[in-house]
Amino acid sequence: MVSGEEIRKLKLTAEKCRANVIRMVKSSKHGHIGGTFSAIDILTALYFYTMKIDPQNAGMEDRDRFLLSAGHKCMAQYAVLAEKGFFDKKYLDTYGKLHSKLPGHPDMHKLPGIEANTGALGHGLSIACGMALGLRADGKKSKVYVVMGDGELPEGSNWEAVAVAANYHLDNLVVFVDNNGLQISGKTEDVMNMSPIDEHFKGFGWATKNIDGNNMEEIITALDSIPLEKGKPTAIVAHTIKAKGLSFGEGKAEFHYWSPSENEIEIADKEIQERILNIQNKE
Amino acid sequence: MLAEYFDPRKEFGKAVTELAKENDKIVVLSADSGKSSGFGDFMHLFPDRYYEFGIMEQGVVGVASGLATTGKIPVFCAIAPFVTSRPFEMFRNDLGYMQQNVKIVGRNSGFTYSDLGATHHSLEDFAIIRMIPGVVVLAPQDPGEIKNAVKAMIEHKGPVYMRIGNPKIPVLFEEQDFEIGKGKILQDGTDVTLISTGSTTAAALEAGKALEKQGVSVQVIGMPTVCPLDAELVINAAKKTGKIVTVEEHYMDGGLGTLVSEVCSQQYPVPVKRLGVPKVYATTGSYDELLEYYGLNAKGITKSVLDFVQKNKRSV
Repeated sequence: MVSGEEIRKLKLTAEKCRANVIRMVKSSKHGHIGGTFSAIDILTALYFYTMKIDPQNAGMEDRDRFLLSAGHKCMAQYAVLAEKGFFDKKYLDTYGKLHSKLPGHPDMHKLPGIEANTGALGHGLSIACGMALGLRADGKKSKVYVVMGDGELPEGSNWEAVAVAANYHLDNLVVFVDNNGLQISGKTEDVMNMSPIDEHFKGFGWATKNIDGNNMEEIITALDSIPLEKGKPTAIVAHTIKAKGLSFGEGKAEFHYWSPSENEIEIADKEIQERILNIQNKE
Repeated sequence: MLAEYFDPRKEFGKAVTELAKENDKIVVLSADSGKSSGFGDFMHLFPDRYYEFGIMEQGVVGVASGLATTGKIPVFCAIAPFVTSRPFEMFRNDLGYMQQNVKIVGRNSGFTYSDLGATHHSLEDFAIIRMIPGVVVLAPQDPGEIKNAVKAMIEHKGPVYMRIGNPKIPVLFEEQDFEIGKGKILQDGTDVTLISTGSTTAAALEAGKALEKQGVSVQVIGMPTVCPLDAELVINAAKKTGKIVTVEEHYMDGGLGTLVSEVCSQQYPVPVKRLGVPKVYATTGSYDELLEYYGLNAKGITKSVLDFVQKNKRSV
C-alpha cells in the first residue's frame, strides 16, 4: 500500500513535469498540449513509481519498456524523461528547433529512453506486442507499458494488435487508453464512436479497469494490481481531461494543439508554480 | 542437358530453416502464410520460434519490429503485395525509420500469381520499398542464389526486403557467396548491356545467347541486389557498351530500370531502354502467357534488344 507521502511526491513530480512541458512550448511557440497534459499524470506514475528503468543506462537489458503510441503527446514523455534524469534539462529548450533531440514526435535514435519511433497513429501496440513476445520468450520479467489515445482507436491496426495480445496471453503488456474524449474535430464519440472502450478490449480477451487518469491515487492503485488477471493483457481505460492543468484549456478540443500568446504562457507558468508551492507546503 | 528446376519458396524456407539450426535468434512470423512460404519443416523443428498471426500483415510487421528490439531476427514471408503495399507505413516507420533487423520476403512476386489478377501481383514493390532509407532490396535469380542471399540477408544487420517468385526456376550459376550490393557479369559482350534481376535473368541469358547468334555482342549482367544498386558495374557497362537494356518483372517505371537510368543520367549518360510492364493493372492468364504478352520471355527480350541496338547504332 502506497503512502500518502508517496502520492504527494508523485503529484509534485507531475506538476514539475508540466512545468517542463511549458518550458518546451516556450521554445517552440507551439505543441500538442491537450494530450500531453491529459496523459502526464500516468507517465509520471509509470516512470517515478512503477517502471524498472535506469536513467544512466537507458538500454539496460532487464528494463521495463514504455511506448507512446500516441506519439504526438511526446512532450509528456520528454518532460518525464528529463525530470527522471535521462538527459539534461537544457535540451528542453531545443524543442522544435533545427536538429533537436526532441522532435515533435519521438525518435529513438536521438534521445535515450525512447523505445520506438511513433507518431503515425495505430503503430505502438503492434510493436509493443512484439516486445512483450520477445521478452517473454527470453524468460524476462520485464513489462511493456503503452499509452494510447482514445482518438487513435479507429485505426484498424490497433485491433490487430489487441487480438495478438489476447491470443498470446501477454500478461506482461499493459495499455493505458488516455481517454480524454476529445480530438481535433471535436468529441471522440461524435467523430467516431469507439465506446465502450473497456468492453471492446474485454471482448478480445483482455482484463480491463476504468480509472480517473488524472487522479494519482487511482493510477497507483491500478498499477499495483497488474496484471489484473493472470494470462491476460491489461487495458486501463483512463478517463482524463484534455489539457488538464491548463485552467483556460481544460476540456477544450481546440487545445489539442496550442500556439500560446505570451499572456497564456505566463498564466500557465503561474498556475503550475502555485500548485507546486501548494503541494510542497503540505509536506 | 536440361537445367534442374526448383521451387523458389521451398529453397527459401529450407535456407532459413538450416540457418535457424545454428542461430536461435531467428524467428518466423506467419500471416496464415508460413506453410506456403516453405516453413513446413521450421514450424515442426522450432515451434517456439514460429508465430502464427492469421491474416494480419500490418500488425505482423509491427510485431516483427518489436521482436527485433529484443534481439530476435524475425523473418516474415507472404504474398508480395501483402507484405509491401499493404503494410507500407509499418514497413517505413517500424522497420525503416526504426532500423529494425527484420527480414520481409515477398513471394509469388511480380505477376507469378498470373491468373489471380492485379490484387495478387506486385509490380511496384521495388519502387516503393527502395524509397525507404536504409532498406536493402534483393531479388535472387536462381535456387542457389536464393539460398546464399538468405544467408547474407540474415547476416546483414538491418531491414531487408527480398522478393522471390513461385514457379520452379532453373539453376543458372555455380553456387557462390552472396554479396549484398554487387552484381555480376554473366556473359561478356561489347555492343549492348542487358541488366536483369530476379525472375527474368534466366530469359535474359537465353536472349543473350540468341542475340550472339544474330551477330549482336551482348553483355549480360545479373543484378540480384536492386538497392543499393551496384552503380560501379552499371557505369562500367555504360562505358564499355554505350547502351543498356534493363529487364525486370516489375513496372518499367520505378524499379531496376529507373535505378540504372538514375545512375547513368548522373554519372555517364547513355541510352537506356527499360523492359517491364507498362503502368497498368496487368491482365490475367497463365504465367507464360503474361511473360509473352508483356515481352518478358527470351523471345520478347531478344526482339526489344535488337530494335534498341538498331535504333542506337554507335556513331564512329
